[in-house]
Amino acid sequence: MTVVLLLLQIFVLDELSIALWIRPMLFPLIVMLLPMELRTIWVLLGSLGVGVVMDVALGGAGLYTATLLPLVVLRHWVMYITTGRSVEFGDQSSLLSRLPLRQLMIYATAMLGLHHTMFFLLETLSFISPLRLIATIVLSTLMSVVVAWPILRLFLSKIVVK
Amino acid sequence: MYRLLEFIKLIYVFVIFVVLEVAALWSYATSSPYTEAKILARTTAVGASISGAVTYTQNFFALPDENRALMERVAALSAEVQSLTMQQEGEVVEGMFAQDGDDSASHFRYHPAKVVSMTTNRQRNYLVLDRGAMDGISKDMGVVTAENALVGYVVSCSDHYSVVQPMLNVEFSTGGRLVDNGHVCVVWWSGDSMYEVDAKDLSVYSEPQEGMRVEVRSERLPDGVLLGTVKSYELNSAKSAYSAKITIAADMSRLDNLLIVENTHYHEIESLVQQAQ
Repeated sequence: MTVVLLLLQIFVLDELSIALWIRPMLFPLIVMLLPMELRTIWVLLGSLGVGVVMDVALGGAGLYTATLLPLVVLRHWVMYITTGRSVEFGDQSSLLSRLPLRQLMIYATAMLGLHHTMFFLLETLSFISPLRLIATIVLSTLMSVVVAWPILRLFLSKIVVK
Repeated sequence: MYRLLEFIKLIYVFVIFVVLEVAALWSYATSSPYTEAKILARTTAVGASISGAVTYTQNFFALPDENRALMERVAALSAEVQSLTMQQEGEVVEGMFAQDGDDSASHFRYHPAKVVSMTTNRQRNYLVLDRGAMDGISKDMGVVTAENALVGYVVSCSDHYSVVQPMLNVEFSTGGRLVDNGHVCVVWWSGDSMYEVDAKDLSVYSEPQEGMRVEVRSERLPDGVLLGTVKSYELNSAKSAYSAKITIAADMSRLDNLLIVENTHYHEIESLVQQAQ
């Protein structure tokens, strides 16, 4: 799934020109959907790998990595704030698999919004056109969520079946 | 050692995250002239603001020492001004530039002091200063602000502290003089307002005016110590003298660093006066 998402991002989404302001990004889903029970160090190293691949493939020069790594540190907090759930000691099943689709979508929206905010702020490095910046963040997040919807449904059905 | 290892184990993920994040940001920042200029400008601004905040905090905590040093300097300058004034008036004084702790002969010495406690809301108010007999302070010394405005007189001393009777005390009394014409008066406090004192026995020929400056006239203080300005005046019922309300020059509600003025000739003058009586 990781590879599929990476390829989708690099060869499809990045080539799309829906509008100048709308740039959907799905690769943060890779970090978001890693099991919450997985040790943070492995998630961190995994995110580093994804970030480096994206930077090399799309010429981000560290931008993709820099905006992906904070998600690793923040994802447990975002999960708790958006769904009120956290990984309990002795949990036998994956926390993500126990989330209803609605809560998973809220969590994904928050994480994507967070990522897109960091990404576009760092990419622009300017507040000359704040409205345009906000519009880019909001519209791109919404677009990402729309595209992520079927992927999240697929993800849920897969892990529930497992 | 074990605790150190435990601590490192606790934070190593976060440390790795910080290292990786900084490396990624550095890589991005140096990838083009635009990002380099933008990010370095921002980090420089943040660094400068942090540095500014640290410097401000350091300066804030250094203020007591600076205040002390400034008051020492004010004391030295006051002594110098006093000596120069006397020199100008043709008085021969040895040891013109005597300062705190100097034993040379000068009429007035200035000792910096800090207010420890004070009251302003009573009929008999007092100030406590952090200088006492061990610092060469004794009864009847004058107390002025750094702006050379009268505060009061020392009424008692312990080894390390002294008690001052300020103008805001119904038992306070001192001599005053109109700067413009030299007419003298007696200044006291009726207890009505913490911003005003009263003057009485002002000659009918003194022609007081509102706004006239009133100086202290006392052997305990040098000339030039400001008491206040005339706010209002009236002839007494016998039409033999004026009485006046004087706005106090010193802000009595905001006293902090003060100067205690010592007249080294005061006891000599006092004993002469007692002999004469």
